Amino acid sequence: MLSADHVSFRYAPGGPLVVDDVSARLAKGALVGILGPNGSGKTTLLRLLSGTRKPTAGRVLLGDQPLDRLSRRDIARRIAVVPQETELAFEYSALEIVLMGRHPHLGVFTVEGPEDLRIAREALASTGTDQLAERPFHELSGGEKQRVVIAAALAQSAALLLLDEPTASLDLGYQLEVSTLLQRLNQDDGVTMAISTHDLNLAASVCRELILMRDGRVLAAGPTNEVLTPENVRMLYDVEADVRIHGDTGHMTVVPVRRVTR
Amino acid sequence: MTTGRHTKATNNTKAFVLFMLCFVVFVPFVLAFQSKPQRIISLVPALTEMLFAIGAGPQVVAVSSYDEYPSEVKGLPRVGALIDPDTERIIALKPDLVITYGSQVDLQSQMKRAGIASFDYRHGGLGHILVTMKELGARTGRTAEAEQAVAAIETRLAAVRASVAGKRRPRTLLVFSREPKTLRNMYVSGGRGFLHDMLEIAGGEDVFNDIDKESVQVSTETILARAPEVIIELRPEAIPAGPPMRDELASWGRLASVPAVRNRKVIFIAGHAVTVPGPRVAESVERMAKALHP
Amino acid sequence: MSIRRRIVTIVSLFALGAIAVVLWAPTVGSTSISLSRAFDTGIAWEDNVDAQIFFVARLPRVLSGALVGAALAAAGVVLQAMLRNPLATPFTLGVSSGGALGAMLAIAFGLEVGLMGVSSIPIASFAGSLVAIGIVYWLASSQKRGLSTNVLLLAGVTLNSFFSAVILFVQYMADFTESFRTVRWLMGDLDVGSYSPIIAALPFIVAAFAMFAILPRTLNLLTLGEDVAAARGVEVIRTQRLAFLSASLATGAAVSLGGPIGFIGIVVPHLVRLMVGSDHRVVLPASALFGAAFTVLCDLTARTIMAPLELPVGIITALIGGPFFLWLLVKKS
Repeated sequence: MLSADHVSFRYAPGGPLVVDDVSARLAKGALVGILGPNGSGKTTLLRLLSGTRKPTAGRVLLGDQPLDRLSRRDIARRIAVVPQETELAFEYSALEIVLMGRHPHLGVFTVEGPEDLRIAREALASTGTDQLAERPFHELSGGEKQRVVIAAALAQSAALLLLDEPTASLDLGYQLEVSTLLQRLNQDDGVTMAISTHDLNLAASVCRELILMRDGRVLAAGPTNEVLTPENVRMLYDVEADVRIHGDTGHMTVVPVRRVTR
Repeated sequence: MTTGRHTKATNNTKAFVLFMLCFVVFVPFVLAFQSKPQRIISLVPALTEMLFAIGAGPQVVAVSSYDEYPSEVKGLPRVGALIDPDTERIIALKPDLVITYGSQVDLQSQMKRAGIASFDYRHGGLGHILVTMKELGARTGRTAEAEQAVAAIETRLAAVRASVAGKRRPRTLLVFSREPKTLRNMYVSGGRGFLHDMLEIAGGEDVFNDIDKESVQVSTETILARAPEVIIELRPEAIPAGPPMRDELASWGRLASVPAVRNRKVIFIAGHAVTVPGPRVAESVERMAKALHP
Repeated sequence: MSIRRRIVTIVSLFALGAIAVVLWAPTVGSTSISLSRAFDTGIAWEDNVDAQIFFVARLPRVLSGALVGAALAAAGVVLQAMLRNPLATPFTLGVSSGGALGAMLAIAFGLEVGLMGVSSIPIASFAGSLVAIGIVYWLASSQKRGLSTNVLLLAGVTLNSFFSAVILFVQYMADFTESFRTVRWLMGDLDVGSYSPIIAALPFIVAAFAMFAILPRTLNLLTLGEDVAAARGVEVIRTQRLAFLSASLATGAAVSLGGPIGFIGIVVPHLVRLMVGSDHRVVLPASALFGAAFTVLCDLTARTIMAPLELPVGIITALIGGPFFLWLLVKKS
């Protein structure tokens, strides 16, 4: 559905390549994790995939159309992004934030109608935040905020969801909640997802496919159980780790053992 | 010999007395001669005019940036004005009297430190102009000339007063500043100050007599409410006839209900002399009187 | 209540309030007039002082106040949203200092370029604003990624300092009367005395409002950040350009009409947000209407409180604005 074709990106001309000749494919219904240490270019790759940055080389295709040929509205109808952090300059209620997700479906002077309200409330319900609808966003806890932001992305009714470090600032309980939510959305509602994260265990437990990135390049890509090997973990994080399948959940887990030098 | 000693003593006493006499008689002359300033610098254009009017013109060695009258000042060096007096230049010109504005306290203390006498001028009404002329006369050792000049002005003012005595005093708006081609930012004479005093002598009644300020910024509504019978506008330069004059009158034309506008009594008096509180005030009052009581 | 109904209801309430103020203000003033006489068409125009006070002195004043207030308040809302900063004002980006410099030069050099009944000062002021807009826009859009708000802010602050220095220089070089007039102009003055300056400023303010009309929902989205807004379908660069140009145009026209009257562009948006929330579809029109009423009322106070003398309207807005922010600060802490 969404594919990157040998894309590269640098922020300033003459600057370093933050993303270096990366190719990736997001098939329909996939749940892909983009895994790598900080500075590996994952967030930038996500930006390239969502079209908020243009690659300096290569191109991104949505379906079979290059992303730069599509208007922002068209892209927004098909791809929704959940950012890492949301800082509001003004105070809005949770419902207002979620309703903003309806923007790509509304004309310039159109006001949200009953249908839009229904979609928004459903999105809140699917993230378990419907009782927070009227509360001011800045009064919510970290986990609640993140779930509202996911709801806002869901309200876009897009088939593709790109999430940037969705659990980075969350407590364990909320991390579990969000992971479960994402899995449910993918499996039950068929939402195609790409999650960029540096949390190995999140990637291991939730994502069926992984793209491992380091220094802007793809180290390995493929199904999680094939790609998440101790060798790859060592190459990615300079850490010797124990990779095994957790008995009860059936998920892969990664336990770091010691640091190694390159 | 007693006579010889007596004569010697008398001679000594005589010499002593003569010496004391000389001292007592001549020193004041010397002092008086020294107190007559020979190099005067004036930062106040009105006082420059006064100096020339009382005959101290030849002693003026430098003037302010804004001095224009009389024509003798045109070639003189300039030393700044109210906000930007050029202290260095002033001191370099070695004056013995500097005429400053009362508010120029920094300059005055600098003059004091440099040992230069200063005459500090404060703004006041019309009567104050004459008082200042006399003070300048005393300061420059020209008391008689000053008295003469003041008397001449007073005679002319008295003549004007006499000529308008008994005549009805029209309610007058005396405008001295406004934006060109509109009536915005208009400043008029209030209940005191030399412009007000000139108007009074010339036989007009200041329509803002009740406001105890020298200058008042008036709004359109206030002008309409006060409904002046005559409007006198003071301008530094005359307005050329034709379209420029028409435009200026058209600005007033908007206030159609004002009697001065209806009866076409909007009068322009041009020339720098009219806004300078100096010796030419008599001439300005005469022009005003002629405008009010033709 | 549906969203549409809420927007319409609230904005209508503000509109009623603004209309009421605009209708009432010309009937009040430092002089008492008879309204029946003012509207009596049987009396000749030259004889009808009440009519002249109403139609020549007060009505143009109230209309300019409403126009200036609406323009500055709306510009404030748009700039605060675009810069994602509730402390931004219409004067933050240098437009008003350009307008001030234009006016200063006209006053100090006694320019006499009048056009269609408008004197040289408003024209010079508007020209100055356009120059400032051009400079700031050029500086901020020389970046490859369209209009960078950081550079915009920096350019605006720089231009403000630079133009302020030039203004001080002009004031110093001007003679005393002109210097005082420049200082007075900076305090704001709505006594236009005729309809020509209003008609001259109107097309620019109307154009600015036409541009404002398509911004509100995108301004809501910009609150979340440029990248998120883009991901939600907002053409960020185009929106920022439109926001900057429309807000600057409104500010330049308002400053040329009434001088740089401060605090309207920040007090009014804040008050309105406190009353109606942050949805810009409500905040923008409500602020314009509230700004109109607020300015007319401030001017009314300025022209009656010390009758027959008048205070500059900028002093009244400052006297209200200062304590208002103090109260806001105390309330938040």
